[in-house]
Amino acid sequence: MEPAIAVSQLERHFRNKKALDRVSFEVARGEIFGFLGPSGSGKTTMVKILTGQLQPSAGEAFVLGKRAAGRRDPEQLRRIGIMTDNSGIYERLTVYDNLALFRGLYEAPEKSVAGTLESVGLAGEARTTVQQLSKGMKQRVALARALLHKPDLLFLDEPTSALDPMNAARIHEALRALNRQGTTIFLTTHDMAEAETLCDRIAFLNNGTLSALDTPQRLKLSHADRSTITVVASDGRHVVNNDREGAERIAGWMRAGQLLSIHSDEPSLGDIFVKLTGRTLS
Amino acid sequence: MRFSLRRLRAIAIKEWKDAIRNPQILLTAAMPIAFSFLFDRKEASDPAVVAFPLLLAVSITGAFVQANMVAEEKEKNTLRMLMLSPASPAEVLLGKSVATSALALLVMIGSLAVTSVPDANPIGLTALILLLLIAFLAFGTTIGLLSRTVTDISIVGLPLLLVVIMGPMLGTSLDMGWFSAVVDWLPTQHFVLGLTGLLDSGSLAGIGVHLAALAFWCAAACLLCLGVYSRKRYDK
Repeated sequence: MEPAIAVSQLERHFRNKKALDRVSFEVARGEIFGFLGPSGSGKTTMVKILTGQLQPSAGEAFVLGKRAAGRRDPEQLRRIGIMTDNSGIYERLTVYDNLALFRGLYEAPEKSVAGTLESVGLAGEARTTVQQLSKGMKQRVALARALLHKPDLLFLDEPTSALDPMNAARIHEALRALNRQGTTIFLTTHDMAEAETLCDRIAFLNNGTLSALDTPQRLKLSHADRSTITVVASDGRHVVNNDREGAERIAGWMRAGQLLSIHSDEPSLGDIFVKLTGRTLS
Repeated sequence: MRFSLRRLRAIAIKEWKDAIRNPQILLTAAMPIAFSFLFDRKEASDPAVVAFPLLLAVSITGAFVQANMVAEEKEKNTLRMLMLSPASPAEVLLGKSVATSALALLVMIGSLAVTSVPDANPIGLTALILLLLIAFLAFGTTIGLLSRTVTDISIVGLPLLLVVIMGPMLGTSLDMGWFSAVVDWLPTQHFVLGLTGLLDSGSLAGIGVHLAALAFWCAAACLLCLGVYSRKRYDK
């Protein structure tokens, strides 16, 4: 099947600065793809190119089978949804009126507003003015607006930034539900935990170039220190070698009924990013 | 993609609901009505004074309210979301203009209720008002697009709009040749002269040159607006 996004040797220059430098990757249909990097790494530039707001300087990008050429394409825009970190919702209007505007713009069915509000847990706030909502609820309004027309491809830019864990979890659940219905999700974030929770695959972007691209699990395994294993037993925490002698010690704790937990020493995605790029994500 | 009345309607309804909840826009729209009390035409002999309440209603509502709507969209990062929807530039700009025009119509009715309706050919009067309104809507959109914030409107547009709006009044009272020469070109001056012509002769033929001049201003303002729009539509 044709990928949702195909990027090949993409470059974008701003005067003498390269914001993106020969970036290539593909996002399969139905995938949740994380595009991770610190501020200024080129994430927003990539989204702008993929959504037709910017023209690439070199290389090519295809979105849902159509070339992204820096021009507005209304037919294409109808098939994608965009939620930015800067939510851009109308504060003086009610939640319902905000969504009713975009229902009209996308020529979506009449019932879409109620259904979408239900899916993001805001059905009870339809008549509330947006400026009266909490930050978390505003983020959910922005998400509802992006989902309203059931897009084939959803671009999310820091969807849970500045949200408390409960609100972040609600948004993650709504995104998973959408993904189960077949929507491809392109997520840009510098939140490693969010990427690991949501994404099927992630790409690390640093100074406009891709440093790594794989599933979170494979990335962690490929950078894991397999020589030791951490064991928590009833008498404390132990680091044992990953060899025959270590296996005997672990077996001893097990036989004595003292083993509480056992962990292979995998680095976090943040650790891997630092190792690959020498930079932190925040 | 085809032009969609449903999209245009959605934008116009949004703009209207947003405008009537915006104290800044309501205050701006109320100004021409308040000024109408100062320009009661029954006591005026100067044609500029006769036309002034209408001029204020069309220009202040058309230009400043439109500029405010567009600049606020840029400031709050909502214009980008409209541009990233399937709505075409024409649908977005026309939707905003429909809402602003409805407000301008209400302000004109309010102003005329104070000063009384000029006794002029209604077709000619409607044509003059419509052309002036289109020109000011385009000016307002351009100023809004050039402004990064609502506050910037006063820097970007206020000096220019004051000259354009006040020109016909000041041109007759100031004894400055160069200024009068500039005023003669202004759309507002053609509006005043056209209205004077209608009041004097009552015929459309007598104001043809002013209608043509206003039509030229409409075309120029719309072209300028589209040019600026193509460069400035994506707010930073």
